[in-house]
Amino acid sequence: MDLAQLTRDLEALVEETRAALAAAPDTAAVEALEVEVLGKKGRLTIVLRGIGQLPAEERPLVGAVANRVRGAIEGEIGARRTELGAAELESRLRAETTDVTTPGRPIRRGSLHPSIEAMAEIARIFGQFGFVVYESPEIEDDEHNFQMLNIPPDHPARDLWDTLYVDVPGHLLRTHTSPGQIHVMRTVKPPIRALLPGRCFRYEAIDASHGTEFFQVEGLMVDEGTTLGDLRGLLDEFAHAMFGAGKKTRFRPGYYPFTEPSVAFDVECLVCGGPGCPACKRTGWMTILGAGMVHPVVLRHGGLDPERYQGFAFGMGPERISMLRHRIHDLRLFLENDLRFLGQFR
Amino acid sequence: MRVPLSWLAELVELELTPEELADRLTMLGMEVQAIERRGTDWSDVVVGELLAVEPHPRADRLSLTKVTIGHGAPLQIVCGATNIAAGQRVPVALPGAVLPGGRRIERAEKMGVTSEGMLCSGDELGLTADADGILILDGETQLGRPLAELYGDTVLDVDVKPNRGDALSIVGIAREVAASTGAEVRLPATEVEDDGAPVEGLVAVEVEDPQLCTRFVGRHVGGVTIGPSPDDVQMRLIAAGVRPVSNVVDASNYVMIELGKPIHTFDAAAVGRAAAGRARIVVRTARPGERIETLDHVVRELHPDTLLIADPGGPIGIAGVMGGAASEVSETTTDVIIESAVFDPVSIRRTAFHYGLRSEASLRFEKGQEQRLARLGADRTARLIHEWAGGSVARGRVDTNPDEPAPRTVAFRPARVDRLLGTNLGSETQRDLLRRVGISTEAEARPVTIPVAAGSAPEAVEAPAGDAVVATIPTWRRDIEIEADIAEEVARIHGYEAVPGRLPSTPMPGWRPSPLALREAVREALVGAGVTEAVTYALVSPRLVADFAWSVNPPPATGEGAREGGPITVTNPLSADHAILRHSLVGSLTQVVAGNVRHGRDDVAVFEVGKGYGRVADETVEWWRLGLALTGAFEPAAWNRPARPADVDDAKGLIELVAGVIGAGRPTYMALTDEPILHPGRSALASASDRAGRLALSGVVGELHPRLIEAWDLRVPRLIVAELSVAGLGGGGLPSVEFEAVSRFPAVERDLAVVVDEAVPAADVESAIREAGGENLRSVVLFDLYRGRPLADDERSLAFRLRFEAPDRTLTEVEVEEAIATISGALGHRVGGRIRA
Repeated sequence: MDLAQLTRDLEALVEETRAALAAAPDTAAVEALEVEVLGKKGRLTIVLRGIGQLPAEERPLVGAVANRVRGAIEGEIGARRTELGAAELESRLRAETTDVTTPGRPIRRGSLHPSIEAMAEIARIFGQFGFVVYESPEIEDDEHNFQMLNIPPDHPARDLWDTLYVDVPGHLLRTHTSPGQIHVMRTVKPPIRALLPGRCFRYEAIDASHGTEFFQVEGLMVDEGTTLGDLRGLLDEFAHAMFGAGKKTRFRPGYYPFTEPSVAFDVECLVCGGPGCPACKRTGWMTILGAGMVHPVVLRHGGLDPERYQGFAFGMGPERISMLRHRIHDLRLFLENDLRFLGQFR
Repeated sequence: MRVPLSWLAELVELELTPEELADRLTMLGMEVQAIERRGTDWSDVVVGELLAVEPHPRADRLSLTKVTIGHGAPLQIVCGATNIAAGQRVPVALPGAVLPGGRRIERAEKMGVTSEGMLCSGDELGLTADADGILILDGETQLGRPLAELYGDTVLDVDVKPNRGDALSIVGIAREVAASTGAEVRLPATEVEDDGAPVEGLVAVEVEDPQLCTRFVGRHVGGVTIGPSPDDVQMRLIAAGVRPVSNVVDASNYVMIELGKPIHTFDAAAVGRAAAGRARIVVRTARPGERIETLDHVVRELHPDTLLIADPGGPIGIAGVMGGAASEVSETTTDVIIESAVFDPVSIRRTAFHYGLRSEASLRFEKGQEQRLARLGADRTARLIHEWAGGSVARGRVDTNPDEPAPRTVAFRPARVDRLLGTNLGSETQRDLLRRVGISTEAEARPVTIPVAAGSAPEAVEAPAGDAVVATIPTWRRDIEIEADIAEEVARIHGYEAVPGRLPSTPMPGWRPSPLALREAVREALVGAGVTEAVTYALVSPRLVADFAWSVNPPPATGEGAREGGPITVTNPLSADHAILRHSLVGSLTQVVAGNVRHGRDDVAVFEVGKGYGRVADETVEWWRLGLALTGAFEPAAWNRPARPADVDDAKGLIELVAGVIGAGRPTYMALTDEPILHPGRSALASASDRAGRLALSGVVGELHPRLIEAWDLRVPRLIVAELSVAGLGGGGLPSVEFEAVSRFPAVERDLAVVVDEAVPAADVESAIREAGGENLRSVVLFDLYRGRPLADDERSLAFRLRFEAPDRTLTEVEVEEAIATISGALGHRVGGRIRA
């Protein structure tokens, strides 16, 4: 073994390796070749064992050649690995392609009931103005539902509430959430800003705009200085929050035995916007709630001195609010629980 | 209240369009609900003149007429009426005309003669009640004019509120118009030419209970000729919604609409006489066993509280509600007694309800009538009868109480009115406003009593000298009694729209947790899990209550109401389907499922947060529950997934979700084998506790018994239901989250397969593991269940993943092995289990 022979052997190894790399079909073959040539027991190592037979002064020269050859082979292998790796990734990606236009795996969505959600929305809006929520019983007695609200027995105003009575003496199904006014006034002292949502009942045949069961939200604000002007200002804010800023409103006299003065509150027709259409009975307005200043008799029944305290109350139907907002034409839908209806809401 | 504008215009100047007028009235609290235009349903009906009326050549009962409408060739029209003659002006429906009810008039052959249109009766046009004769128009009526221009009218439908009985009249509405426009009200004339014999010799009236009949004014008109009212009167009554009957009856109805005073007329010949030969009327309550045949020809047993108009022979009318048939004014009547009375509103209301006879008259009596109106009504009726039916009016009135109380005064403080309204009107402006509704005012220098509350809790305060104004209220305004009523009147006339709106600046109440908070969190979590919120009727059918009554009654969650007491029944239900307040939600939810299945939805998942109701002695109780119902696929099929049918485990998953939302621990289940409405092998009691060990969730979950699915024709293979009491559902907030430090040391997991007898519930195995696991055992999760070889036939293997973790150190292998050894021992003696290698 001489230096020239050793150098030729190394060059041959480089050429052979280069040829083998070119023939390698995939990165796995490259990996195998790397072990075969450069591994601990690889061919390069075997060739370099011949160094020991060379004269001492030639050994450094061979070392330089060997390092150059190792570097060259490593470079060739690396390049081939990168080349094949890229091709392999590309073919894997091609093989994994799916039809991304198909629908996803469905996740079933439920929905909140529009009556309950409308009540929650009303509570959120008035909550911004400091109103807090209370609840009161659905089965009431005549005193709370009527008498304490300034509606004595045999009063003609009783015609406004067709009542369902139950077999518990003196009891009835509340016809409105207004008895809650009494409960709240007897529970907390002014300043009061209360909302009372809940289910109500009437002796009324079921049709597109009437139901035997429906919900109501009562509002009550009592302190030493709340005025009719405050009621108007607050209701305007409510109408704008619920139906859109800039919606026109109308504040006009109404009648309830438990308020004086009494108020009816309208918002401009959400269908025609004012000129009049069948939805608003050609008036251009839609009534959204009734209200008024709490009657002194009611304050007194609530345990408050009507000379010192004053305030307002209002009552509205969340279904009606919902019907106006979503242009739902039939009240019956709210209790039919048809998923084709319910599923349209959040 | 239907208000024909032609009638209203007679009492007050109307310089507004109907729309403007409607708007003004609405803004005064007299809400106009509809504007009806009468005559818009007559097209091509014009005024014509009869040129000739000849017999029809081939029909005895028909006439052949020649009619001109002022232009073009005369029309030949066949007519069956007998009241026509040449020279009369009549309504002519031209070929192509359309009459009320959609009736179309065409050129037609009538017994061999072509008829080029039709002459119209008042009834055919909806103008009068006369269906036999042609409507004969005034001779001056312009030829060719469309009839709608001459006889059309506009009717406002006004929603008069129960406190304003005075406005149930044309006069009352006219007063409101006047308040708005400043015009004068022209009251109907009530002067009567009463030159007949003195009434005292003809009629005597006695009131037994002056509380129930505060005034009875009677008048007598003799020698009347009964017939139809004048056409224009009939037109008005029809426009106002009253059917014309005869001149005398129409007069009483006319006065009711015009003045708001219900009037009754009797055939004087049918009223029994006393010894002196005078008709004798007694107002009294019914006696036992009395009965009367009312105008509607129904014989009624009289309730002892019923106030009657009677003669010596017995009842002749139910006061204020309905007259008797025997004394009804008929075609043969010659002498008429007019009753214009004021009755106790409560008595009339009760009576009307008792007999189911609520009428225009009783509605007005119920709202209270002023004493004065009895006199005015009697006079006005006598005048109209005299005018329309002739005869002679007996001199004077019989009057049981001529006393007409002076107007009421109500003192008020203008400053207080402004404080209530949030206005700054001041005394002078307020007094000006009140003057426009006829309320006169006077400043009062001395201290004065202010009425602040009337009715069931009257109350008054003393106003210091100089603060108050005394208002004198017109007698017809029975609704103005207290200071707040004055405030409303001021606001009403000033205009509610003129009250400046502002946001409240008064002190705020303190913070209060919302009773809806927990309910909302639970609802939103369920919706997120794919379940839809339903709201069903609280009133259900007796059958639903009976069939879906739970027999188990697990304790309610802490702070929640128990399901207790008997059912509450509605005593006046609208239908049997809504007659009982429900005890539970499950029955209602099965109906929601069934309804949707019938609509072709096979997969239904719904929940409801609602109440149950019960009766304990004479107390009522209400409790909140969460109900669930699942059927069909819980995971519906998709192109990339098969359907997975809902089963009890899905419902349990939802229960576990809810438990998590409310901060409770993992629910545990106990087999429930004896609940008749559920599948005995697939139902469980569920419960979960909060950190403090209180019961936070408690209820029942399971598959509905197949027997019920069949009995109720629910058309589903399986139906999973649950009903739960959840702590906080009735009004609680969400518990605050107590943070637990996260360990920085690694956890150790071990899988443990436990072989037990089939009969041993998984829950027992799990709790044995938990209790023996020591403080470092953080979680135990069942991840596999295996039956089959090499296990014995009555065995199964439950595989649990155990997670050990210490907060302060890395656990050693020895520590974990010791824990596993303890668990193995416990499994052996507690559930007879062995560890599978």
